[in-house]
Amino acid sequence: MIRNYLKIAWRNMLRNKVYSVLNVVGLAAGMAVALLIGLWVAQQYAYDRFLPNYKNLYQVKFNFTDPHDGEHTQPAVCLPLANVLRTTVPGIKRVAETGWVGFNVRNLRVGDKKLLPASGDVDPGFLKIFQYPFVKGDRNTALKDVYSIVIDESTAKALFGNDDPMYKTIRVDNQHDVKVTGVFKDIPATASLKFSSLLPFSYKRLTEPWMKNAYNEWGNNSFEMYVELQNGITYEQIAPKIKDLLIKYQPDYKRAKGEVIFQPVKDQHLYSDYKNGKAVGGLIDYVRMFSLIGALVLLIACINFMNLSTARSEKRAREVGVRKAIGSQRRDLIFQFLTESLMITFAAFLFSILLVQLVLGPFNALTGSTISIPYGSLIFWGIMIGYVALTGLLAGSRPAFYLSSFNPVKVLKGTIQVGKAASLPRRILVVVQFSCSVSLIISTVIIYQQIQYVKDRPVGYNRDRLASTFMSDDLMHGYDALKNELLASRMVESVTKASSPLTNIFWHTGIDKWPGQNAGEQGINIAGITVTDNYFKTVGMKLIEGRDFSPDWASDTTSVIINEAAAKRMGLKEPVNQLIDYAGMKKQRIIGVVQDALMESPYTPAEPTVFNHGRGPNIMIYRLAAGVDPHAAMEKIGKIFDKYNPAYPFDYVFVDDAYNQKFNFETLIGKLAGIFAALAIFISCLGLFGLAAYVAEQRTKEIGIRKVLGASIANVWMLLSKDFLVLVLISCVIASPVALYFLEPWLKKYDYHINIGPGVFLFSAIAAIIITVLTVSFQAIKAALANPVSSLRSE
Amino acid sequence: MLSLQHISKYYQVGGNKNIILNNISLEVDEGEFISIMGPSGSGKSTLLNIIGMLDEPNEGYHYFMGQAVHQLKEKQRSALYKRYIGFVFQAYHLIDELTVYENIETPLIYQDVKGSERKAMVADMLDRFQIVGKKDLFPAQLSGGQQQLVGIARALIASPKLILADEPTGNLNSKQGEDIMELFRKLNKEDGVTIIQVTHSEKNAEYGTRIINLLDGKIESSRKF
Repeated sequence: MIRNYLKIAWRNMLRNKVYSVLNVVGLAAGMAVALLIGLWVAQQYAYDRFLPNYKNLYQVKFNFTDPHDGEHTQPAVCLPLANVLRTTVPGIKRVAETGWVGFNVRNLRVGDKKLLPASGDVDPGFLKIFQYPFVKGDRNTALKDVYSIVIDESTAKALFGNDDPMYKTIRVDNQHDVKVTGVFKDIPATASLKFSSLLPFSYKRLTEPWMKNAYNEWGNNSFEMYVELQNGITYEQIAPKIKDLLIKYQPDYKRAKGEVIFQPVKDQHLYSDYKNGKAVGGLIDYVRMFSLIGALVLLIACINFMNLSTARSEKRAREVGVRKAIGSQRRDLIFQFLTESLMITFAAFLFSILLVQLVLGPFNALTGSTISIPYGSLIFWGIMIGYVALTGLLAGSRPAFYLSSFNPVKVLKGTIQVGKAASLPRRILVVVQFSCSVSLIISTVIIYQQIQYVKDRPVGYNRDRLASTFMSDDLMHGYDALKNELLASRMVESVTKASSPLTNIFWHTGIDKWPGQNAGEQGINIAGITVTDNYFKTVGMKLIEGRDFSPDWASDTTSVIINEAAAKRMGLKEPVNQLIDYAGMKKQRIIGVVQDALMESPYTPAEPTVFNHGRGPNIMIYRLAAGVDPHAAMEKIGKIFDKYNPAYPFDYVFVDDAYNQKFNFETLIGKLAGIFAALAIFISCLGLFGLAAYVAEQRTKEIGIRKVLGASIANVWMLLSKDFLVLVLISCVIASPVALYFLEPWLKKYDYHINIGPGVFLFSAIAAIIITVLTVSFQAIKAALANPVSSLRSE
Repeated sequence: MLSLQHISKYYQVGGNKNIILNNISLEVDEGEFISIMGPSGSGKSTLLNIIGMLDEPNEGYHYFMGQAVHQLKEKQRSALYKRYIGFVFQAYHLIDELTVYENIETPLIYQDVKGSERKAMVADMLDRFQIVGKKDLFPAQLSGGQQQLVGIARALIASPKLILADEPTGNLNSKQGEDIMELFRKLNKEDGVTIIQVTHSEKNAEYGTRIINLLDGKIESSRKF
């Protein structure tokens, strides 16, 4: 029986090529979009799940609720907590303190091979908590020795070629020789902690003098920490035991209500936004958003199928009548039509796999992901069978139930105009389709407007030709000579140093006392940046009042320059020459006020900032001379750097690139929304094209009569296009509030955001109408141009 | 085999009852060949459709093969009808996408006949109607007479006890029509198949053993030969 059904379906497809192509292409595009999004979403959920014990892993975080500066949750914690967790909290199996795994960069050198891989300094327990597969060495002992290192396979290959790397020597940061005690597999893309080498935490303590007392300093929140709970222990059991540890050991934390919390490692990738000490959002919001978009595009494609099938029902009605008359039950017919839709869905699925395979490369490049179709996975194929079945049933159910309901006597006699009866539901479905598509257009436009608006926002300094380089000890020693040589090369216009690059703030501290402070008013959190001479001139920040630091080092040891936001925050009318207590230093004199500059998020207001003068900062900031080719200049400059810094490869960042990276995520969201909006519209138009053809065909006779009576081509075109235009207009009206509903909360997440005006809705509506007119007109004009004689004669 | 008692059928059009069949009672015995005649709109086809269970009366009792059809559920009715009734249409109503062979085979599929058995039965039928050579053609490639032959073959394939034919020769020329009527007579005489046909043609009606004349939804006369 199924063979019979498949045969009919196949012959029907061949006979109605245009409809079949519209159906298969539309459905394939929809399925491809949903499949692609599905693969992406699956990857986001797969993060860190490859770790055998991922369910027991947590990162330690601090949550503060400061009465003045609001509440925030930070991953930076202090070291003495590690031993307290180890010894006093039952249920915790392991604790590992780390120094920013994946964020640190270490210089590794073997002979003349130099690398700057992402690195980290970890307690030996880290390797047992994060059981990344080892290729060589023993994870239990690998980082016990101070002068040991574990590296990944790529790094081993790059440094040692095909030689066995075990127990070979690597020079780290041109300071110490360490021995390779382990090699682990390259970290998979689905790990939230990515690094190529690890050094023992003891190495960090040995080489960084500021850490000498860190294990006793409850206020030194400069480290990250991970724990593994014992099997069967839940976070709910642990939470009350750790919550008040900070205040217990350091009563100072009472003021800001310091609390210890754990975040599951498996949630780290998806949940990064904290509210009241609870992870509430982050990437998960976008994962949900794109899941919704995927479902919508698939729905749009299914609606096409439904509409085209029911529109074509006139042609199938007789078959239904005959089949019923020769003994088919409704059940059989439903089964038959579902078989058909499953067959078409399956064909579309094959196409969609092909499509996904084709766009996977560009998609990965665009989204920075590494997804692939897991052809070898049985689970994948199992899910795909379900996917095809579900899509086939969704798309085929309406045609199946509609077509099988025909009364045989009536359809065989031709007394009912089938197809017409289904026109109201069909219209509703078209409105649903276009509402989704237009919402996506509106969303895309608004996201782009927001990105552009923020990009155009004045940042308070000049990014052109500005670059920065992290300085090694060697560079620090040779800084003055390096600076002179760079300036002499005429490739560089100006050179300075600072303790933060322009696109990040590395240190936050406080102003404890200032003139006009209310009694009992607590300190102000501010950004603290140490700079050398020429900083403001080099980066292009304007002094509004007062003067710059003087080049002679003696006079400005107790001077600071503040920005406008800091002056405003303290409420100082005439800040110059006022004294403040800053970062534990008493009576610092304000000598100048500088314009606000955006150094952290481009979406938030500039932070109150205090600059002081010092020789210590290790980030070199320099502006290339006007008119030089930046790449050629960098090549020449690199040679000068190499002279002073032979152990390291030359490494630099253009500030403009670093700034634009802050928009990566939003730009990506904008691009994806744009692509999906275009696809949604494309699929909807395929359906519209088919429907227009159907309507034109159905009204051939009417059009013939009208033309004989003197209707112009324009009249006929209007007649056929009008109905569809009305539907699209209704869709625009529905889509506008829907898009607004989703986008307003999104925009509100940004302090600096556009206000949605009526323009975007008008623009989207006009775009949708133009697209509709173009789609429908082809059929309308074709019908209008037909010779009326032929259509009337056939009656 | 068949008994209709006080059957009425009407449609509500606006406030008016549009009566198609008005209190019709009819007994049909096995082996009869009945021709139903009457002007357009007299209710011939509706009567035939009710007998064939494609349509339901608004009032009356309907017995078929000893079962009270008016009390049966859709499913049972369908089962009963699949087993005993074959339909022949004026417009043949073959399925365009299926070949001659497949068209004839379809009713068997709906009756869950096994594949090998189906093959034998269809081959037999093709043989009997001498259309073996045409079995792989599609309906559009056949003449009207040939299409109707296929239509009858399809109606007979499941060995029905009753054939219902709605103007079977209406779309055919007189020679083709005569052939079909001869075929009906042969089926009736030799195979004992009961036949009820609706026809406009006096000549075709005379092939039957009884002629029933309908007028305005009522039986005007009934003649037996």
